[in-house]
Amino acid sequence: MIMIKAIVRPDKKDVVLYELSKAGFHAATVVDVVGRGKQKGITFGDIIYDEIPKSLIMLAINDEDKEDALDVIFRYAKTGEAGAFGDGKIIISPIDEVYTISSSAAGL
Amino acid sequence: MKEIIAVIRMNKVGATKKALIEVGAAGFTASKVMGRGKLVEDKSIIAERRKTLLALAQKEDQATDKQITEFLDGTRLFPRRMFNVLVHDEDVPKIIAAIIAANKTENKVGDGKIFVLPVLDAARVRTKESGDAAI
Repeated sequence: MIMIKAIVRPDKKDVVLYELSKAGFHAATVVDVVGRGKQKGITFGDIIYDEIPKSLIMLAINDEDKEDALDVIFRYAKTGEAGAFGDGKIIISPIDEVYTISSSAAGL
Repeated sequence: MKEIIAVIRMNKVGATKKALIEVGAAGFTASKVMGRGKLVEDKSIIAERRKTLLALAQKEDQATDKQITEFLDGTRLFPRRMFNVLVHDEDVPKIIAAIIAANKTENKVGDGKIFVLPVLDAARVRTKESGDAAI
């Protein structure tokens, strides 16, 4: 099992969640975060905005579903065809174990 | 070293904190998140709870009905509390058991999920200790 953490634009959050649900990845946890990227935030003259609001979508999925989930996020989190700075990052980490509290059962 | 991520109900935070202290993992980071779980396919699981909630709402319009149904079957995102706990490998089973015991309810669905993630290293800022000593 792997955990996908996708940092996306807040205005793309709803469409990404909707499309993930349609693709079969319904369960998700969403956190509102602030951050900056490689471009060091946004600079207007002397003013630097380096705490830009983003949404962090966390998904726990099986290893073999990775490509499908990434495909959905890449397609719908992007701005326009070419994409733009600030569209976000996707971080993938391994999960050792998963438990459902309601049933005490292990596994997704 | 493992990181335990538990996404739980908002009203179980007190019980979870108490359970963590009792099991010897006092340190944690908690944040307010929005979450949804697996879609409930079998509506009979949530039928009873839906009836109780509808009675509590004392309204019978369509919006209330929709909100309660979506709350129970997991279509919409609802507020949850996320706990991140850094623990030693050998403590993982007993901490998971404690979290499950503290968070289990009669409602069958929506009690939350627990993830166990491997952690490569950790460091304590105050003493620069790293590895297992940093927990």
